[in-house]
Amino acid sequence: MPNDECRLTGTQPPADAQSTIDNRQSKIPRVGVFVCHCGINIAGVVKIPELLERVGTMSGVVVTKDYKYCCSDPGQQMIRDSIKSDKLDRVIVACCSPTLHETTFRNACGEAGLNPYLCEIANIREQCAWVTADKDEATTKACGIVRTTLTKVVHDQPLEALTVPINKRALVVGAGIAGIQAALDIANAGYEVVLVEKEPSIGGHMAQLSETFPTLDCSQCILTPRTVETGRHPKIRLMTYSEIDSVSGYVGNFKVKVRQKARYVDFKTCTGCGACLEKCPGRTESWFERGLVRGKAIYRLLPQAVPNRPVIDAKACIYLTKGKCGVCAKVCPTGAIRYDDTDKFVEEEVGAIVLATGYELFDATKLGSYGVGRVPDVIDGLAFERLLSASGPTSGDVKRPSDGKVPKKIVFVQCAGSRDSTTGMPYCSKICCMYTAKQAILYRHRVHDGQATICYIDVRTPGKGFEEFYKRATDDGIQYLRGKVSKIFREGDKVMVWASDTLAGRKVELEADMVVLATAVVANPDGVALARKLKTQIDAHGFMTEAHPKLRPVETLTAGFFLAGCGQGPKDIPETVAQASAAAAKVLAMFGNTRLTHSPTTAEVDEEICVGCGYCERTCAYDAVKVDPARKKAAVNAALCEGCGACAVACPSGAMTHKNFTKKAIFEMADQF
Amino acid sequence: MTKYTYYPGCTLYTKARNLDICARKAAEKVGFELVEMPSWNCCGAIYNAASDDLAAQVGPVRNLAKASQLGDKLVTLCAACHNVLKRVQNRLDQPGNEVESERLKTFVDEKYERPVKVLHYLEVLKQEIGWDNIKEKVTKPLGGLKVASYYGCLIVRPKEVLEFDDPENPQVMDDLMRVLGAAPTRFDFKAECCGGYLVVNRRDVAKSASKKILDNAKAWGAEAIVTTCPLCQYNLDKLRAVTDGSIPVFYFTQLLGLAVGLAQDELGLEHNAGDPVGFLKSKGLL
Amino acid sequence: MATSRSSTELLEQIEKLSGQTVSDCYQCGCCTSGCPIGEAMDPPPSKAVRLLQLGEAPELLDSDGIWMCASCLVCGTRCPRAVDYARIAEACRVLVLRSKQSRVDPDTVTGPELEEIPQQAFIAAFRKSSV
Ligand SMILES: Cc1cc2nc3c(=O)[nH]c(=O)nc-3n(C[C@H](O)[C@H](O)[C@H](O)COP(=O)(O)OP(=O)(O)OC[C@H]3O[C@@H](n4cnc5c(N)ncnc54)[C@H](O)[C@@H]3O)c2cc1C
Ligand code: SF4
Ligand code: SF4
Ligand code: SF4
Ligand code: SF4
Ligand code: SF4
Ligand code: SF4
Repeated sequence: MPNDECRLTGTQPPADAQSTIDNRQSKIPRVGVFVCHCGINIAGVVKIPELLERVGTMSGVVVTKDYKYCCSDPGQQMIRDSIKSDKLDRVIVACCSPTLHETTFRNACGEAGLNPYLCEIANIREQCAWVTADKDEATTKACGIVRTTLTKVVHDQPLEALTVPINKRALVVGAGIAGIQAALDIANAGYEVVLVEKEPSIGGHMAQLSETFPTLDCSQCILTPRTVETGRHPKIRLMTYSEIDSVSGYVGNFKVKVRQKARYVDFKTCTGCGACLEKCPGRTESWFERGLVRGKAIYRLLPQAVPNRPVIDAKACIYLTKGKCGVCAKVCPTGAIRYDDTDKFVEEEVGAIVLATGYELFDATKLGSYGVGRVPDVIDGLAFERLLSASGPTSGDVKRPSDGKVPKKIVFVQCAGSRDSTTGMPYCSKICCMYTAKQAILYRHRVHDGQATICYIDVRTPGKGFEEFYKRATDDGIQYLRGKVSKIFREGDKVMVWASDTLAGRKVELEADMVVLATAVVANPDGVALARKLKTQIDAHGFMTEAHPKLRPVETLTAGFFLAGCGQGPKDIPETVAQASAAAAKVLAMFGNTRLTHSPTTAEVDEEICVGCGYCERTCAYDAVKVDPARKKAAVNAALCEGCGACAVACPSGAMTHKNFTKKAIFEMADQF
Repeated sequence: MTKYTYYPGCTLYTKARNLDICARKAAEKVGFELVEMPSWNCCGAIYNAASDDLAAQVGPVRNLAKASQLGDKLVTLCAACHNVLKRVQNRLDQPGNEVESERLKTFVDEKYERPVKVLHYLEVLKQEIGWDNIKEKVTKPLGGLKVASYYGCLIVRPKEVLEFDDPENPQVMDDLMRVLGAAPTRFDFKAECCGGYLVVNRRDVAKSASKKILDNAKAWGAEAIVTTCPLCQYNLDKLRAVTDGSIPVFYFTQLLGLAVGLAQDELGLEHNAGDPVGFLKSKGLL
Repeated sequence: MATSRSSTELLEQIEKLSGQTVSDCYQCGCCTSGCPIGEAMDPPPSKAVRLLQLGEAPELLDSDGIWMCASCLVCGTRCPRAVDYARIAEACRVLVLRSKQSRVDPDTVTGPELEEIPQQAFIAAFRKSSV
């Protein structure tokens, strides 16, 4: 502590805690410091009177005041009044974190005629009161924080907020139920939407499901009206079998390059008659049917596919790989087959982007002791959905993959890979407790004398009607056995399960005809790859990160990007749809403005000093700096700049600075500590 | 011919001659030589896991120190010895464990000259010799014999230390059997425990654990089982005589020896239970 | 009883000797499900860890279960919380043995089969269960 006034003086605080100390004559700069008690959050630890007294002696401070809640109306009024009556030209509010109330106080200053960027927050709550126990220590620390802020505020320059125009079109990536819902909400409000889906048709995983918990309505029946509406909507430009190649620009003004994969079928000519599907001899794995049957080279995912046009899987097509066959072209009545089709690139301009890339199930073959891949009758939850689904490979009859027999005993294994710190998925997948109960119930609907046993660690049912649904399962005679399964193996035509009953305290060996694993939900790998490409934040498990876990759940930290669905974390359909509508509402709120404001605290280049080395350009995570190769000078695109300051640090010549964070100010601030 | 320092261990000198002799002779056939370490001592037979039990590691540390004076590799064959030596070697050489390592080294007179890589015989075959080279040496292919490879616990776990193979579905021995002309069967009990040393005072427990292994091998259609540990061999082979005697159990080195052309009397089949000779004859392999 | 120490002290010792933290266990039961000796082990591993969590270390030290673990390491390999019960059982045995109580007296192990058993088994068994 270099300054004497911040040493503990041992002086008694003034008796009147609300006192105003104005001990300075009129002098430039004129700083007012307003100390907030935040109830007892700050005042319970920091000795406010002492702080006021010590701050009052700092050079440049002309007035110090305190108040119980500065963010309240009277609190803000106190600041506004003081700006006028004390002729303040700088304001410091010593209170909570600037992420909470910086805007509040800057606006208050603006209302009183002071440029908002001449107001600074000294965070004495999160960075001081909440983390310091000793009152004297806290008071001294608060004093130091205010002094450092004071050093900055006197260097601050008045700035004007930037505004940029908004292109009121939205891009939605991923057309599962999340993407569909978001696209429909935005389109129904009258704005255009580009909906990009990597698969040949829309619907995502919901199209694979049989019936849905907790009401057991048929997934197709509730999904199809939405897919059909999406396919027909005049405001929605649907691009299936397409991926995002690149995104440039900034919030309100993105340029998107979409790669439309070669389909080998001309969608305009094709009528979707399906003649080609019947005759195609090419075979491939069908991910949609979860490997239960072999798919054909020319395929559509399901009969109700939107769009209802097939595509050719070039790797499986005999003509495209070996030059022989051509059957589809021969049978096609409209001549829609195009073996010479190639990938095409389409450019779109949008103002907002919703990421709805969804989930996948963890590759269960990696759960070595569960025998997946070795024991044919061990399958995952989505495969079982296909067995239950009327449009699935068995038309809804439950038959086991190895020999087509109807299984009389099924063991369901929960938490397969989830809640496991050794698999890298320590989280709860959230939906599997419920869908396992559902699958057991549906199995017993199909096979009346079938026995279902569910091995679980905990049954988690925190949703409307969920606990009641669980009761329905136990009422139906479904056996719940508490204990995580260790091993699954084959013995003859039986599948054996080593489980335990921790409630009875013993090991249990179960014999089954088939085993269904509730495999962990993971972020869709293509969604993870896209997030990496777009440099939007993802967590340690690949799920996209929201801007604030409570208060900004559908935004990302990168302006203009929004989140919906399982790409952000595992969730069921109701929650997915709610989140998608919320993301759409955020987009619409943005589209309700004509221009967007952008913080003016951006980087700026002093062209006199800049030598065009390009360090800044390589450092910027937002592509906001470009070096003009002819002039050898860097230029900042203020609309893209997020004000992170990385370029200013990287710049070797000192040409790059950051508005209101000049090197001089920062060095002086550092000196204060 | 590459020479490797070899640690046979006590059991291979007595009850498991058949594991050892075939290994040495087969090695020469496929192109390497096992040179027995002079004056080795017992490895302790089981790893002592209590964190403060340093004294229990003296035996293995001494063996490792001696081996380090002879070279940077030490080849083992018995899965139990391998487990102990490998885990103690890990404690000696693991970065971050220097303090304990120095203490362990002070327990023995012999100097630990350099980090010793403890290699199981199967690892030598796979990594140092290579399947292709072994294939060339096969003179009597095993004629599609359906074998279940039983690894047991000790060469696969703990996996971070043993770094041997996938602990749930190891493949090395299956690969070897394929190279020798056998047809390895799928098998779900490759690395489940046979009951181990519990056989000493709880024969019932070891018997029931072993029975599950044998049952699963048979369910997958195995005609024979191969092992790499004298204790596993005992529990599956000798103990099964009283549980179920329908499936012969060999050391993998016996089938290796057979395939690379060792004579019948070099295979040590007289130490196996049941009628291994009759079985191999019935398969046209003898 | 194996020792006269308090159960808190015993738990501390067990955690130190085993390098495991018993509060890591969330009682999923996977260790018990996969233990090859599980049916014969009383208490089975998950219940044993539970006893420790509940401060019942003395009960576990008195139990039969800790002597039944064959140190196959399956439980620890598959434990979703990476708890290695084999080392906990080892620590418990060590505590009992260090109070000079053998579990298996080598002289009492007899029978004609013993001729055949490889000596590594004897060494292992007696190292694990005799003073
Ligand atoms: C076995 C099982 C049973 C279930 N049962 C129920 C139930 O009964 N009731 C219930 O409420 N919920 C259930 N669910 C949950 C339900 O499936 C999800 O809540 C819902 O499907 C999530 O939708 P989504 O749009 O977020 O993700 P998804 O359905 O995964 O959709 C994401 C879409 O984005 C596309 N995509 C991904 N990456 C890209 C990219 N980079 N570019 C372009 N497109 C991309 C994908 O192809 C996909 O079409 C179940 C889940 C499982 C696993
Ligand atoms: S040309 Fe290809 S897609 Fe067409 S029928 Fe033949 S294999 Fe199928
Ligand atoms: S036969 Fe032709 S028109 Fe009919 S679905 Fe196939 S490509 Fe389309
Ligand atoms: S939802 Fe249930 S089954 Fe799924 S991970 Fe969570 S607890 Fe396990
Ligand atoms: S401050 Fe950050 S965002 Fe702005 S130009 Fe510099 S590096 Fe890019
Ligand atoms: S497997 Fe691990 S977490 Fe589960 S009960 Fe056993 S020790 Fe506890
Ligand atoms: S290490 Fe012990 S407790 Fe764990 S599975 Fe093996 S025998 Fe059972």
